[in-house]
Amino acid sequence: MAAADSPSTALRRRDLCSRGIRLAGKMRADVVDLLDAYVEQQGLDASASVAAVEGVPLAAVERWDEQTGTQRLLENLAAYRAFRALLAQMLEEQREQLGEADAGLGRALAAVLLQVSAFAYHLEELLRLESRGIPGEEEDGPPPPPRLSRFEQKLRGLGVLRELAHWAVRSVRDLRQLAKPSPASGAAPGLAESP
Amino acid sequence: DSHVQYERVGADVTMKCGSMDWDAAVTWTANGTDIDESHLNGSYLILKNVGLSQSGQYFCYEGSSWHLKYQTNLRVGTPPKEPVLMCRSNNYPKGFYCSWHLPTPTYIPNFFNISVIHGTKDMVCEKDSPPKNRCHIKYLQLFSTVKYKVTLTVTNALGKNFTTLTFDEFAIVKPDPPESVVAKPVPNNPRRLEVSWQNPSSWPDPESFPLKFFLRYRPLILDQWQHVELSDGTSHTITDAYAGKEYIIQVAAKDSDIGTWSDWSVAVHATPWTEEPKHLTTEAQITETTSVSTSSFMAPPTTKICDKGAVVGSGAMAVCWTAGLVVAAYSVLFI
Repeated sequence: MAAADSPSTALRRRDLCSRGIRLAGKMRADVVDLLDAYVEQQGLDASASVAAVEGVPLAAVERWDEQTGTQRLLENLAAYRAFRALLAQMLEEQREQLGEADAGLGRALAAVLLQVSAFAYHLEELLRLESRGIPGEEEDGPPPPPRLSRFEQKLRGLGVLRELAHWAVRSVRDLRQLAKPSPASGAAPGLAESP
Repeated sequence: DSHVQYERVGADVTMKCGSMDWDAAVTWTANGTDIDESHLNGSYLILKNVGLSQSGQYFCYEGSSWHLKYQTNLRVGTPPKEPVLMCRSNNYPKGFYCSWHLPTPTYIPNFFNISVIHGTKDMVCEKDSPPKNRCHIKYLQLFSTVKYKVTLTVTNALGKNFTTLTFDEFAIVKPDPPESVVAKPVPNNPRRLEVSWQNPSSWPDPESFPLKFFLRYRPLILDQWQHVELSDGTSHTITDAYAGKEYIIQVAAKDSDIGTWSDWSVAVHATPWTEEPKHLTTEAQITETTSVSTSSFMAPPTTKICDKGAVVGSGAMAVCWTAGLVVAAYSVLFI
């Protein structure tokens, strides 16, 4: 069982959570803007349903309130690492199709990718603070996805951005939970758990 | 035999007197009143272009024996128009509710059936007993990008209709208005009002799902509102109130991250603090003993004439100086 937090650890956690909440909030606002621009420039229907695409981490979760702090951090980290790879791929595809009209979209994608990378790093910081090992990223990476048609790429992009927008909201909520002091041990709820 | 008969407004209705022959002698009554023979075709009762007022109990009696041969409860109404459906989450993240009504009455009983689908999953919408035009759904998942599809079907004896609502989990989040809004003057501060309120009691976990607030206020004498958005806390001090003017104040709430603003809270009224004019009584008494009356010009030491809140515009400073000179002049007269 984890020991009670030292005051400095609790303070550091609160600080990291606060900054993480601000990062996630800004990221969400930018993703929503990017989503609007993406839908318009790619000629998509904003209300179109997109089937779950393999490799896109779903923000949906059951029994969210019962998750431990470690679960929250690990799931967030896995998601943002996946988004980092997906956005990089979208950017690559965008550059292959580069036209003047899409240059702004490419820049917006790159900006969001940067924020996603920064947020993933922030999550790693939180995990380090909890003395939790940071799961390694797969060295070989996921297998290369099958080559998709241009239209399929657009739909997948829509799915990626929608899930990312929802993940950003979930992350804010997760970090708020983490920032709450636990009444008994002073540790964040769910982090004081047996290994 | 007795039964209920539903007919559309404007329809032509023919009622047979049970098993009586067409040429039998009968008497029809409606709501206790004999029906004129002009409405009869043999023993059949003919009602043309029925209206709502013709709803009621109809009886048919055999002519000579007055045996009751047939009765019916005629209910004139209309098929349902497309229902109005609304879904909202005022208790996020617990769940949401849907409520509905018909835009125009049908005047006959209606039956509602609601279905809620999330992706491929059917969800249970538990109906309230009162009011029965509302039901509640518990969220099984949070943060889902899959939309919810709610279909409401309304059926009555004359027809059916339906409507469908499709929405995202975040889009329908709308808290109830803040509660217990209180506005108080601040002692010795003629331009301040202290406003406080509470989270709506229906919002289950404000610590994990904090609300932000929007406050609006105006003096009763003006139409234009001032607005303040507050990202946290349940109180605010207005510092630019016009001195001595009664204010109307309202607050609205929204989840910090998703959804829409609540309706405005109940309005509260308050007037900023003003000093009690005790010294006016004293000076009035003094001036009464002299032959010069200056009460209309005398102002208390904390003069409102020089109060920025009471004087609007660039002439404020000039007015202050002018008032000061007048006061000084009269003071000299009484030394």
